[in-house]
Amino acid sequence: MLELRKDIFADERDDNLKEIGKGTQRQDMLGHVTGASSYFNDHKLQGMLHLKVVRSTHAHAKIRRIDTTEAERSAGVRRIIRGADVPRNLNTLLSLINFGKDDEPSLAVDKVRYKGEPIVAIVADSEREAFEAIAKVRVDYEPLPTVFDVEEALKPGAPVVNETYPKNTFTYHDVYDHQKLRFGDADAALATADHVLEQRYQMSPIEHAPTETNGAVAAPDTNGRYVVYTSTQALFFSVDTCAKILDVPSNTFHFIGGTVGGGFGGKVDTLTEPLCILGAMLTGRAVRYVFGREEEMQYGPPRGAERIYIKDGVMRDGRVVARKIRAYFDSGAYTRLSSYAAVKCAAHLPGPYTIPNVYGDVYCVFTNRTPATAMRGFGVTAMDFAIECQMDKLANLVGMDPMEFRILNAYRDGDMKAHRREAKNTALIECVQVAAEKAKWPLREEFKRASSRKDGGGSRAVIPPTPTDSRSRPTAPVQQRSSYDRLPPTVAREPPREPPPPASPPPSPRPTAPSHGATRFSSVFGTRRR
Amino acid sequence: MTLTVKTFSSLDEAAAALSSDRRARYLGGGTLVMRALNEGDVSISTVVRANDQALTRIDASGPRITLGAGVTFAKILAERDLGFLHAPARSIGGPAVRNMGTVGGNLFAQNPYGDFTVALLALDATVAVQGTFGARDIGIEELLQSRERQAGALVLSVSCTRPASADAFRYRKVSRIKPKGGSVITLAAHLPIGGGRIAGARIALGSMAPTQIRARAAERALEGCSLDGTTIAAAAAAATEGTSPSDNALGSAWYRCQIVGVHLRRLLSGQE
Repeated sequence: MLELRKDIFADERDDNLKEIGKGTQRQDMLGHVTGASSYFNDHKLQGMLHLKVVRSTHAHAKIRRIDTTEAERSAGVRRIIRGADVPRNLNTLLSLINFGKDDEPSLAVDKVRYKGEPIVAIVADSEREAFEAIAKVRVDYEPLPTVFDVEEALKPGAPVVNETYPKNTFTYHDVYDHQKLRFGDADAALATADHVLEQRYQMSPIEHAPTETNGAVAAPDTNGRYVVYTSTQALFFSVDTCAKILDVPSNTFHFIGGTVGGGFGGKVDTLTEPLCILGAMLTGRAVRYVFGREEEMQYGPPRGAERIYIKDGVMRDGRVVARKIRAYFDSGAYTRLSSYAAVKCAAHLPGPYTIPNVYGDVYCVFTNRTPATAMRGFGVTAMDFAIECQMDKLANLVGMDPMEFRILNAYRDGDMKAHRREAKNTALIECVQVAAEKAKWPLREEFKRASSRKDGGGSRAVIPPTPTDSRSRPTAPVQQRSSYDRLPPTVAREPPREPPPPASPPPSPRPTAPSHGATRFSSVFGTRRR
Repeated sequence: MTLTVKTFSSLDEAAAALSSDRRARYLGGGTLVMRALNEGDVSISTVVRANDQALTRIDASGPRITLGAGVTFAKILAERDLGFLHAPARSIGGPAVRNMGTVGGNLFAQNPYGDFTVALLALDATVAVQGTFGARDIGIEELLQSRERQAGALVLSVSCTRPASADAFRYRKVSRIKPKGGSVITLAAHLPIGGGRIAGARIALGSMAPTQIRARAAERALEGCSLDGTTIAAAAAAATEGTSPSDNALGSAWYRCQIVGVHLRRLLSGQE
């Protein structure tokens, strides 16, 4: 039974709300448990073709030649799609909100950057015939040196994974190779702390492992439109991504989704829809493209690996006085959403604690691994694991109870957080108190009496003097919270190209220039000023 | 080339269809073959099936038991007389896989699967195979050693002698996901004891080589000895001899070598 502690959250919720604490049936539950829910893959359309992709067998290689002559003659093959057939064969997901540069082709052209990268798509009458044609495609590779470790990738002379980012790091604010957080003077505080503890944490990629693998079914509709049944968990995001890659207005598509057989962040990358629709455009037939289980596990994007170094200064009385963090997000070969994960991570430092000196460098690094993406609290989850491990170790170091240690250092209402926002509605102290009570964990009286609403603010609300890094300042203004939403000064939009020639009946391309809704997602990066 | 499915009521015909076509594969429960087909394995162009009832027969009444190749693990678990095989049968997959997966198919399961075969190898099972020249019995070890060349053979049944006591046969599967994960390593031991001494010890290991293998050095360490701490330590120390494990997502070769002795010691000393 959920309980809302009105003594703590008196102003938090309207008492007339009547859902909390009651069992409410999910609207889609009945369909799921009776097997009546309709998934994208339940649509078997007349004359439906099947698309499969040839995947790179190398983690990093130049493509010298792609020979599809034998595959073209293979039984049942309707169309072979290469990179040159994709209208805009370079994209990055967050370009929809003008964040990041286009860095990922739908089909690799000159080079592959991770094992399993799609090179050629084959549309055939059956999956079997597509698989047989795939076995006949010859790709001539010239293997290149690989890099699989985030810190190795940052060393001088490391192989360049993605030429869009030659330093193997995502570029923030047009200048920085990492996301910075500076609050107070962490180095000075570390020098005077009673104890200093530096630790390294490493998290591996995690696959979402959905029951339903990624996939889509696209079919020509009337008026040159396409109907697309999809597993996407971000339907409008996928519509706009497809519109951009296929260079048509987004109203060309009628996307039907909503029932997702397990997403958790693994179905936002729009991996199947663009090629699936392109297959339908090029053949004039319905086309289905679904990941196999091994494709999903091996090449479906995971939660990215992270490596985190935390160096903390703590006083004998238990106060953490400095926290210095270096974190490396392994984005894999392309950006996808890791650039955003690093931003979230920096904003989250140093965790829910009031620490007067915080220093954070968060890197989004490119390696020859499968591109990483969103997954449940990405950017924060692994960092929180590291921070809480570190808090236990620090408590042990100063001989304090770990629960009391957290209460002592927890942020309180009115405190200044490291990213220069006042802490509001904090409740870590109360959470720890309740957890201790439920676990029958003894707390001393002064910690039982502690409250998030007392003793915050004041000197804890002050932004401390913060030394600036010695490197030259960027030309862009420092307070550029809305820079992601502005178009870059030189608008390098290519003029819209003609869509590929369709087989039969030609879907009429719209004359209007595509609009990809650049401002639609502005709230992601907090342009709303509170 | 598309996929052809051929179903026979006679085992002779099924065996002939299987041995005459290099790209034919026998479909038992489908937990391996259908997965391969769904994942795009184009090396299979013909699927051969047989619906002879003999394949699903269990003879568990006497001292020597016989399991038809098409007997599923769920069926073994439902058979009280096969109690000594319940642990290996239960260690395979989830209920859906146990409902479909068969004894015969398990003989051909690649790492990290094939746990039931580890048990059969320790029990010195005999495999009845229908080949081009009629049925014949071959030792399970011989079958495993030539497994790659046996794809054209139709397995009819597997038989073995029932262990003399519950304690004489032991089985242990180490997996990361319990209860249905793939095998990190699998161990089975048959330890017949006469006059307080082990005679004819057989220890089988899964995921320690390309196929299931016997740990002969460990067997030698046990032979003629009583099952005491010294003997067990000697067998555990010899566990890696002759093994050639490889790396996979569940564990590295190094890790497997590190743990195989530990788990053999626990198996032999009866620890959980």
